[in-house]
Amino acid sequence: MQITLRIRRFNPEKDKKSYWGEYTLDKVDSTDRVLDLLHRVKWEQDGTLAFRRSCAHGVCGSDGMRINGVNRLACKMLVNKLGEGEHIKIQIEPMLGLRVIKDLIVDMEPFFEHYRQVMPYYVNDAPLPENGRERLQSPEDRERFDDTTKCILCACCTTSCPSFWANGVYVGPAAIVQAHRFIFDSRDQAADERLKILSEADGVWRCRTVFNCTNACPRDIEVTRAIGEVKMAIRQGAKRE
Amino acid sequence: MTTLVTTVKESLRYRGKVGQWSWMLHRTAGLGTLLFLILHVIDTSWAAFYPEEYENAIRQYQSPLFTIGEFGLIACVVYHAFNGFRVGILDYKPEWWKHQQRAAIYVFVATIVVLIPTFGLMVNHVIDFYTEEGQDIASLQEIIEVQVQFVLGLVVILVAALVLSALYGLITRSKTGLDLPGWAEKNLWLFMRLSGILILPLVFGHLAMMHVIQGVFDINGGGIDVIGTSAVNDSGKAVEFVGERWDMLVAGVAIWRVYDALLLVLVVVHGMNGLRNVINDYAHAPLINRALNWATIFGMVALVVLGAAALLAGVDETAYQIAKDLTPTAP
Repeated sequence: MQITLRIRRFNPEKDKKSYWGEYTLDKVDSTDRVLDLLHRVKWEQDGTLAFRRSCAHGVCGSDGMRINGVNRLACKMLVNKLGEGEHIKIQIEPMLGLRVIKDLIVDMEPFFEHYRQVMPYYVNDAPLPENGRERLQSPEDRERFDDTTKCILCACCTTSCPSFWANGVYVGPAAIVQAHRFIFDSRDQAADERLKILSEADGVWRCRTVFNCTNACPRDIEVTRAIGEVKMAIRQGAKRE
Repeated sequence: MTTLVTTVKESLRYRGKVGQWSWMLHRTAGLGTLLFLILHVIDTSWAAFYPEEYENAIRQYQSPLFTIGEFGLIACVVYHAFNGFRVGILDYKPEWWKHQQRAAIYVFVATIVVLIPTFGLMVNHVIDFYTEEGQDIASLQEIIEVQVQFVLGLVVILVAALVLSALYGLITRSKTGLDLPGWAEKNLWLFMRLSGILILPLVFGHLAMMHVIQGVFDINGGGIDVIGTSAVNDSGKAVEFVGERWDMLVAGVAIWRVYDALLLVLVVVHGMNGLRNVINDYAHAPLINRALNWATIFGMVALVVLGAAALLAGVDETAYQIAKDLTPTAP
């Protein structure tokens, strides 16, 4: 099949404004990924096209971008999900709310800054158990935060959120998901500190339950639910048995 | 303010699902309701303080322009109420998120289901009014002359707020807008949910009485029963209608004053805090952010004070008399 790719291009050294570049690709398989198409454009037509990718298998979270209007990972999006027939048009833009460095590459630093704010690491200063081995956790306790362990920090959720578009000070869905992963971990001891950080003015209260994050997550994390649970935990204290 | 343009444009471009449309409609409906609320609190206070102006305000509300606006208002309130209920439930039951999409569609459907008969009843009032001979209907020019004063008032408040904010910036060298501490944001967040639930029955009762069962067209009808009371509006003046309601006593309590006072405080604070949330989303420059926040707080306090003063003062004999002395053709 034939694909027309419209890609939002921007080269800070040459362009004052971004513009749409159009590329036509022939002999595309319906099971090709959008990332394959970007590779073909870069390798066959225009070597100046810039985008991030690393593992190319939906694990590293490097190639988040807006594909046909929705945030997706280019490496997980198959062409046959984007249209039917012999000719398909696909539109690709950088994620919104972060500064565009070049073409599809955005400045992820503010995103990671929010991530670091929520102490996204395991905190437990208590002495080790007597046998000197690991701290045990029941399957139920592990299940409590299983969903939010899946996050790969691709920023698809945060850059789909109208509150984040409006105001970049909002800590954003991804950072709250990461906080959720530790807040509800029975072995962790810093839940209260994280809840305090997230109950600041730029924390969870800026969430307006729009559900764009949940719909955007390439790992199917129940993001809005996780945010809702953090809001509940701030009001009631994290429940741990 | 640039992010306002970005957000509006991209909210239309980003292909979010129904939740995104619900959010946009929720904001629009909230702001639309707030706009009318501001006018409404001010002019209802005239029933106590400037009876002639109150009669004229009612006359303007009976004009085609405001009649159309009233239909929009009812739609805004009903949608905002239902969708707010949906959001509130999801806040307390995050695990029900899987139903949110269906719930958002139910909200649209429920809004339409409620609006169809409501609009039917309202259209009846409109037809009754406009088919009656010799109605004194405010012209567009008169409406503009009066409403321009509200716009001017708003401009004055905004300019004053900007000047004060600039002075404040110069003196304190503050580089931030009006940021509330986290505990305040948390409590206001809770207040929005709690007040929303309390407002639901109050506002629906109010709308049913004042916009549907009776309406703005009945408020100055001579010899018409005054809803919620056993009185009859003998003079056919809007002032008497308001007075009869506020003076209605049940076991010594002026129930409609209590009702209106509750509604006033809850709705004004709910609405102004909603506006504050919108401002803090889009107005980032410290000067403008402070100014708009201050204007919002001023508006909130002013409306509560004005409304409460009118409720306490009530409609006295002089006001009745002034209203009664008006000839139907008076401006």
